[in-house]
Amino acid sequence: MKAAGIIETRGMLALVAAADAMQKAADVRLCGRHQIGAGWITAVVEGEVAAVQTALQVGERAAAAHGELITSQVIARPAAAPLAAMPHNAAMPASNDERAIGMLETQGLAPLVAAADALAKAAPVQLAGWAFIGGGLAHVAVVGDVAAVRESVAAGAVAAAAAGPVIADLVLPQPSPDTFALMPARDAAVADATGALGVLESTGYVGAVAAADAMSKAGSVAIRRFAVASGGRIATFTTGPLDDVKVALEAGTVATERVGELSGTHLVSRPDVDAVACFCGVQAPAVGGSGEAMGLIETRSTVGVVKAVDEMLKAAPVRFEGNFKVGYFLTASVVRGSIGAVQSALDVGATVAARYGDLVSVDVIPFPFADVAVSLPHQ
Amino acid sequence: MAQLAIGMIEVEGVASLIVAADAVVKTADVQLLGWDSIGGFTTLFFSGSTADVDASLQRGQEAAREVREHVVAAAMTQPEPDSLRHITVAIDGDGGAVADGALGLIETQGYGIQVTNADAMAKAARVVVRNVLSVQNRLVCTVIQGEVSAVHEALATAREQLSDGESLLVATMIPQPHQQVVGAFASGRES
Repeated sequence: MKAAGIIETRGMLALVAAADAMQKAADVRLCGRHQIGAGWITAVVEGEVAAVQTALQVGERAAAAHGELITSQVIARPAAAPLAAMPHNAAMPASNDERAIGMLETQGLAPLVAAADALAKAAPVQLAGWAFIGGGLAHVAVVGDVAAVRESVAAGAVAAAAAGPVIADLVLPQPSPDTFALMPARDAAVADATGALGVLESTGYVGAVAAADAMSKAGSVAIRRFAVASGGRIATFTTGPLDDVKVALEAGTVATERVGELSGTHLVSRPDVDAVACFCGVQAPAVGGSGEAMGLIETRSTVGVVKAVDEMLKAAPVRFEGNFKVGYFLTASVVRGSIGAVQSALDVGATVAARYGDLVSVDVIPFPFADVAVSLPHQ
Repeated sequence: MAQLAIGMIEVEGVASLIVAADAVVKTADVQLLGWDSIGGFTTLFFSGSTADVDASLQRGQEAAREVREHVVAAAMTQPEPDSLRHITVAIDGDGGAVADGALGLIETQGYGIQVTNADAMAKAARVVVRNVLSVQNRLVCTVIQGEVSAVHEALATAREQLSDGESLLVATMIPQPHQQVVGAFASGRES
């Protein structure tokens, strides 16, 4: 059995930079990855002992230059069974792509959308996709010829920094073949003309729903997607005529601040069509747009929310519609019914939930906008 | 048939959830229903008669608290059926035959050290890695199985291997795990 090299980072760009550098420095092969939330992600390589050692030295430097190195370890003669039982093992799809890779990593989705739009507009590159890895960290990738990718990443970094925190940028002029296996996937979406794009990012589900409802009532806009952005954040994407999106973002901001915590908003007045498709392609699963009032309760305890829902169903004629786990210790449940029933159920629910842990927020939406109600991701 | 009560125990990480599950099924006649994770906190659900659930809830909490401090628990005596839709990972009560042997639980912050540690444990003692659970918030728990003395030796290796500071959160053994617990947490990869 060959030696194994393990490198763990906080941040995807640190891992990609390390993995790419390791394959170039020595004869090692990428044989797996595993992410565990909070932005922590691990890659495993295999090869001869000396090769793995050399690779890790280079990988450590590359990781530290593009993020945070958590640990790097060599197993000279691994025992076969335990290593095979670990969850990082995955077939790394081979790629014969020879294009350059450009990536940007941000804290939160508002700067990421700004980055993606600028990346796509600055040079003839192709958006490869985006993903998040916990701890609020998200990344976007482009591929193209070296000069275009460089130009694109430079412009993307500037645009992202204007909208929020940027963690790192990375250009790989000649990526190693296995590096493509670490690229984010993208929605296979068809681009459409949409007008302006607005992103409102908040912490917690209740705030996001309130924002979406307020946005769709404020202007003639479509709520395109709720994207969980990790670290408890949810980004709501909306499109429509520029003035409507502007008004909607303002209304959404007010609504979010009433019941949640706003992380940021971003408006792209003339978004790149492909960037919109990249982020808004897949519609969230639908729940019923019954028109009944909606009651939401969000806590930092499963016991708290289950107990609250149980008591709510007993206290008033409401029905349980679904639960949404935001991550970052947040869980939200939704009930529907007449406005009076929902209100009295929530009074009971809030008291019960508070007994078992942090009650984060409670909200009633008397007349949920139908378009919003059908696109919410709780189930 | 009388409606069954439901018990819920919420803990931080997943090692103390497994310890609680074992205590719960050994204390009274209850069935494990499943568990749920909300990014670092996990919750165990089980059902039985009201008296059985109460007894198990009590003992399960105590057992969990010996492993990690954060524990929240509650019982529902006449649960609304819809409340159970909160369970994400169902536990199949009749999972078939399971392997004998003590369970060892090693919970850390970080995955890289778990790989090295799994290798070191397997070299130090005759133990098998049964499962590796990640519950987000960078918590990782490796479940190993073997004879009591082998698991004991493996845990000693883990403590030494991970002695550098904050990364090791739990290293504990269940000497005679209940069959339901082995079936639920030590026979595959749930997440």
